[in-house]
Amino acid sequence: MAELKSSSTNTADREIVITRVFDAPRELVWKAWTEPEHLMRWWGPKDFTSPACKIDLRVGGKYLFCMRSPEGQEFWSAGVYREIVEPERLVYSDSLADEKGNPVPASHYGMPGDWPEKMLVTVTFEELVGKTRMTLRHVGLPPEMSEMAEAGWNGSLDKLAESLEKEKSK
Amino acid sequence: MALDQLSVTLAAIADPTRRAILERLAEGEATVGELAKPFEMSLPAISKHLKVLEQAGLIERGRDAQWRPCRIAAGPLKEVADWVGRYRRHWEESFDRLDEYLRELQNRESQNRQLKTKEKKHGRTKK
Repeated sequence: MAELKSSSTNTADREIVITRVFDAPRELVWKAWTEPEHLMRWWGPKDFTSPACKIDLRVGGKYLFCMRSPEGQEFWSAGVYREIVEPERLVYSDSLADEKGNPVPASHYGMPGDWPEKMLVTVTFEELVGKTRMTLRHVGLPPEMSEMAEAGWNGSLDKLAESLEKEKSK
Repeated sequence: MALDQLSVTLAAIADPTRRAILERLAEGEATVGELAKPFEMSLPAISKHLKVLEQAGLIERGRDAQWRPCRIAAGPLKEVADWVGRYRRHWEESFDRLDEYLRELQNRESQNRQLKTKEKKHGRTKK
């Protein structure tokens, strides 16, 4: 796990917080978040690619991100920039979307559960000496999830499910 | 509106007592009495929690009316773990990639700078 360079905490207010320090100046990290040619190089989990990205970087401007799984399934997300304070703070709304940027329910992607239609992502960039501390806040998760997360139970839940799977396959 | 399985599961494990019960059951089956022991709670109160867990499909109970040991059931938990995991993975792994990409960008930049310095020096000596 990447726990050494990354930390995650959760508060009661339906939010997930991830903090990371990048060995790069703040301006560069900001660019990586706000320019399509840069964002497409890292958006999405391991082994995913990002085949498309549109960014209209102004308050009220829209974005459309896309990531493609190794199996070829595309996931689009879209939203509107709410706050832009270069190079310190970026706030945008976030929804699962189709390729045109229209919001879609989680079931569109075969995902279970009732995801909120709109979530809010806040990214702050703090200058350290030659490095950047980035804090990501993702707000608007279903309340049950944040309660679980708050209890610090995600880790043990994963382990529990894992050991149960092993038990089952014995 | 009908609740989907995931919502039912999440509601069931949103309670700390029920989570503690599940963790106890992960070690092996137990009776209601055994489950109640660590809590300052009456048997009926524990039974209520067990009912919620049973309805969510998180535990199974023996048939014998007198002796109904509880067992944990894996299916619904697996679904929750998958869901939480998928969501977390997105950010953590994206940031791993961002970390690498930033390093790559800076290497490229410093290489360009070195090239430019060389060109400048070269230009000056020419003049």
